[in-house]
Amino acid sequence: MQRIRSYPEVESASRMSSNTPFSMSNMNNGITYNNVHTMAEFYRSDEALAQTLDLKLVAGRWFGPQDRAAQYTPLVINRKFQEKLFPNENPIGKVIKQDDKHVWKVVGMVDHFKGKGEFTGNTPAVFESLMNTDWDKNILIKTRPGTDANFEARLVKEVLGVGQGWGAEVTYLTESRKNQHNLTLVPVIVFVIISTFLLINVGLGLFGILNLNIARRKSEIGLRRAMGATEKTVSMQFLGEIWVLATFSLLLGLLFAVQFPLMNVFDMDANIYVLAIIAAVGVIYLLVTLCAWYPSRQASLVQPAVALHEE
Amino acid sequence: MIKLQNVEKVYRTSSVETLALNNINLTVNRGEFVSIMGPSGCGKSTLLNIMGLLDEPSSGHIEIDGSRVERYQDKALAQLRNQKLGFIFQSFHLINDLSVLDNVEIPLLYRDSTAKQRRELAQQALEKVGLSNRMKHFPKQLSGGQKQRVAIARAIVGQPEIILADEPTGNLDSAMGNEILSILQKLNEDGATIVMVTHDDAMAKRTHRLIRLFDGTQVQ
Repeated sequence: MQRIRSYPEVESASRMSSNTPFSMSNMNNGITYNNVHTMAEFYRSDEALAQTLDLKLVAGRWFGPQDRAAQYTPLVINRKFQEKLFPNENPIGKVIKQDDKHVWKVVGMVDHFKGKGEFTGNTPAVFESLMNTDWDKNILIKTRPGTDANFEARLVKEVLGVGQGWGAEVTYLTESRKNQHNLTLVPVIVFVIISTFLLINVGLGLFGILNLNIARRKSEIGLRRAMGATEKTVSMQFLGEIWVLATFSLLLGLLFAVQFPLMNVFDMDANIYVLAIIAAVGVIYLLVTLCAWYPSRQASLVQPAVALHEE
Repeated sequence: MIKLQNVEKVYRTSSVETLALNNINLTVNRGEFVSIMGPSGCGKSTLLNIMGLLDEPSSGHIEIDGSRVERYQDKALAQLRNQKLGFIFQSFHLINDLSVLDNVEIPLLYRDSTAKQRRELAQQALEKVGLSNRMKHFPKQLSGGQKQRVAIARAIVGQPEIILADEPTGNLDSAMGNEILSILQKLNEDGATIVMVTHDDAMAKRTHRLIRLFDGTQVQ
């Protein structure tokens, strides 16, 4: 590590557990404090990680040399973890005892930290001081701006020369981040395309049916106009009818939709379901309104005398 | 009550121009019962539609109750149709999905009235045409004469000053036609101004005045 840090191109470097940012690896553990339990992502790293990842501390400090001989393992938590285990309390200095082997002392707190990218949930996470275990073989290197691929080649060569039989694979966090985003975005984009296609199909079908239905009722429109309905009243009548029909259909659909948050399907936050339901209701009302508006408007513009002759 | 000056109506398509009404000048006074006669296609219904503000003349002026209406916007025209005019059509134009009572209430839907007021006025109108025992029926359950009486009840429910009837007995047998005309005469005696399009000389003779049309021109 000292050799890597000595390169002028390297701004900072840290060893880290396999769950490096944007990687596919997770290290989840449960933590209980004062009978409150939460799951948290455990990131193991060294004293330089805050600098390597530009992590801003909002309270306390990052673990440092003074913690090496400390009684408890130093722990830096994120804000979500604090909200779960120490709501309305200063977490700094709190000692969390899991068992005889795992006793941590909170020394610092970073703000919200989403290790797998912006599209993942804001979940509790902790950073603990690295142990010399076999599986913590990752090194995060923050290079200075302008560093080119030659440095990568030199670095790999040197690392491979340190130990016999060593292998090294270089990945870029920017690429890993893009891959993580794609994992989230690609299914979303596919579903959006399919949904849009289905909505267009439904919209065209609905438009055709409403157009035919309203055209068949031209005689009624003529009658209502003769009885004192304005163009606007006629349009609103048809829109009102489609809204009532849509409302009944939505109530039926909502009976099924609300089962998802109630039964906690897919383990998602209920707010996400509620927002999705509200958005779906809005889209459906918009769709039926657009599909009904044009034919009803066209029908209302026909002269009453002409409309009355339509049978 | 209704005054038409130099009214013309031309129907235009891309290739054909048809003069439906040519220089019509006529006045219908308050309380009159006027019939319009003429051969098929002479413009009788067009004239009635223009009087009833259901169609616009190509040129000329229309006055209803002293007000020139040809420049009225949609809302004002709708209000005038609702408040002052009642329509009776040859083919009744009842809405089959609505009960007799609901059909009669239609003109009142476009006024400031409560459901209770609408119901009461519709019941009174149906009593006037002798159909108070058919209020819950649907149009398909009624005979032609009964349907036309429902249409008359609908025309009078808003107590309009003018009733425009387009061949109200055209789809009925003579006995039923006479019955409908008697109802119209009674409404006229009660103060309504009535303009009726008819093909039937006998019916026309029972009105105060006859207007004859031929090829869109007023001949008598």
